[in-house]
Amino acid sequence: MSHTILVCDDAIFMRTMISDILAQAGFEVVGEAETGREAVEKYRQLKPDLVTMDIVMPDMGGIEAVREICKDDPAARILMCSAMGQQALVVEAIQAGAKDFVVKPFQPSRVLEAVQRVLG
Amino acid sequence: MDLTRYAALFLTESREQLAAMSKALLAWERQPQASEPAITCFRAMHTFKGMAAAMGYPRLTELAHGSESLLEHLRHEPATGRPVFNLLFRVVDTLEQGIGLAVEGQDGRLEVAPLVEELAAAVRVPRRRAAPATQDVVPPDAPARAGREIRVLIDPGAVMRGARAMLVVRKAESLGKVSGLRPPLAAFELDGFDGAFSFRLESTLSDPAVVGQLEVVGDVARVDVGEPQVDFRTEAGNRRRQIRVDLRRLDRIMNLASELVVAKGRLVELAGLAGQGPLSEVADRIGRIASDLYGEAVQTRLTPVWQVFDRFPRVVRDLASQLGKRVRFDIEGEDTLLDRAILDELGEPLIHLLRNAIDHGIEAPRDRARAGKPEEGTIRVSATGDRNTVLIRVSDDGAGVDRSRVLEAAIERGLVPPGSSVLPDELLLRVLSAPGFSTSGKVSSVSGRGMGMEAVTTRLRGLGGSVEVTSERGVGSEFTLRLPMTLAIVKALLARVGNEQYAIPLAGIAETVEFRTDRLGALEGRETFQLRDEVLPAVRLREWLGVAGAPPTGRPAAVIIEVGEQRAAVVVDALIGQQEILVEPFDAPRGTLPVFSGATLLGDGVPALIVDPAALVGGGLHG
Repeated sequence: MSHTILVCDDAIFMRTMISDILAQAGFEVVGEAETGREAVEKYRQLKPDLVTMDIVMPDMGGIEAVREICKDDPAARILMCSAMGQQALVVEAIQAGAKDFVVKPFQPSRVLEAVQRVLG
Repeated sequence: MDLTRYAALFLTESREQLAAMSKALLAWERQPQASEPAITCFRAMHTFKGMAAAMGYPRLTELAHGSESLLEHLRHEPATGRPVFNLLFRVVDTLEQGIGLAVEGQDGRLEVAPLVEELAAAVRVPRRRAAPATQDVVPPDAPARAGREIRVLIDPGAVMRGARAMLVVRKAESLGKVSGLRPPLAAFELDGFDGAFSFRLESTLSDPAVVGQLEVVGDVARVDVGEPQVDFRTEAGNRRRQIRVDLRRLDRIMNLASELVVAKGRLVELAGLAGQGPLSEVADRIGRIASDLYGEAVQTRLTPVWQVFDRFPRVVRDLASQLGKRVRFDIEGEDTLLDRAILDELGEPLIHLLRNAIDHGIEAPRDRARAGKPEEGTIRVSATGDRNTVLIRVSDDGAGVDRSRVLEAAIERGLVPPGSSVLPDELLLRVLSAPGFSTSGKVSSVSGRGMGMEAVTTRLRGLGGSVEVTSERGVGSEFTLRLPMTLAIVKALLARVGNEQYAIPLAGIAETVEFRTDRLGALEGRETFQLRDEVLPAVRLREWLGVAGAPPTGRPAAVIIEVGEQRAAVVVDALIGQQEILVEPFDAPRGTLPVFSGATLLGDGVPALIVDPAALVGGGLHG
């Protein structure tokens, strides 16, 4: 059975791109969320094997969402998607419980490497 | 050897030692059996003595030597009472005074003989009982270091090496106990972090297993295990990368960088007039470099707040014992960073708030017991910050403000309309900080000194900050100081009123809308402005500022300002545009409207006053 993934980003473009990369590699994208709050709700509902999480989103940012999700499920596997120059935020996300990160613009191979590492 | 060259360094370092000593003494007094404060005190005094002797200051050395002997004695005789602490505090005070005299070449004027005698007498006090034989308060020199040394190098080509390094550390933490991380975590986020770090790991896994686990984190170039023979990151190596810089030199760099940013604004504007081309490219590039340089200059001036907070425990202790109050004092967030220029201005206002909290807030122990509270009151100073704003809170669990008395006094002095029956928090502060306002009429020896609440709010406004207060009778009060993390440059909206330009900081602006007279109304005798379905107080800047002359011919605008929960519509003659402005400190002459927080020179050299949104939203007292 393939791993299930929840994709969180406020831009449809990014969600589509990430979903495509993951789907082509045989992962099953079971849901998408465009706000941090939605990410938390969908995580509870779908219990995915992995979450990709944008950092800057409206209505609860990605870091806050990581904190919320890890509160419920400390073993949650969350991969941060960050823009260049957001290192401080990435560090904060890791402290909050994120397991790895990729930096935009995405190279499909880097994304898949990171996903494999986190699913380890 | 000419020692005067070292005087400045001696002054700085010996003050640091005395501050450390003071802090440790306070901790020791709270827990007389604790060994660590005793050791810290001894070490600080020992270091101090060495420096004073090296500088050739005999009086300072003599006093330090006497204290060191007593501290040495106390290490074996840990039962220590209040008189001994009082004596040691007096020694610290005298040494503080003495270093100032000494560097001016006046060491001989320092009177130390009586204190030295007292110190000697304290050492001669016979032991009341034999100290337990195993009372060893000195820890072994080098604690046994368990585990393996792990050295990691992140791929130099990787992005966000710091975040990657952080993941390696987290991974290591999942394998065992991690300690001795070098460089410290805080350094990971710096741009200069080269991706090399080391730590000790206590784990049951084999070396190859550890290496294997850490390598899979990604972007890891190398993992080495073993005792470092010559570690490229020894403490000494790190220390060599730091130098001490005269603060005035940093200030000059900061000022020059600020001026460059403002001048850059003008350059970009002029280049824009010339159209796209090489000139505008160069202007943009210089613009970016100027902004980066300014950012770096600001970073060098950020200082942890403990540098000012450190003296508070002593102040609180002394005031509390003077007033017969029992106070527990907590400090939180002492590593929060703030612009040095702001921090330097905060000591006095904070001490005023602490003094108020002890004198008027915390009740006498008997009264507290009667009210069902612990006899010991609590005062807390906390600092929290994000990228732009720092909040400093001073709270107490004392009696709170007696609103009925404050209200009575405020009505009497015409500060609120007669017949008012409630005094909301936002008005409470305005009343408390009205010039010369006092509820009690009597001035105690403690609170009557120094600056008043009026001066606190004025000082904060001058720094581009604000004060808020909440207070509940019987439960306590909390003062919140809201401050920008750095001074100097803010983004502002320029507006015209009459012939003058005024700058309104963008941080206080929610939006700007067209001004139309058909949106005006009135509520409780005040003019209002209708913004969609919201009715806001209207503030006509023209009338506030007493601008004479014909009404504007252009298109007036309403600037919607927002401070905390409060909003208001500020009516101006015209909007000019946005600009980065360099804030110059501003000492408003007494009697001027308290609506300006500073002044600035615009890019083209025209002066403008900076309007304080916080003063405009709460316009009730002046409206």
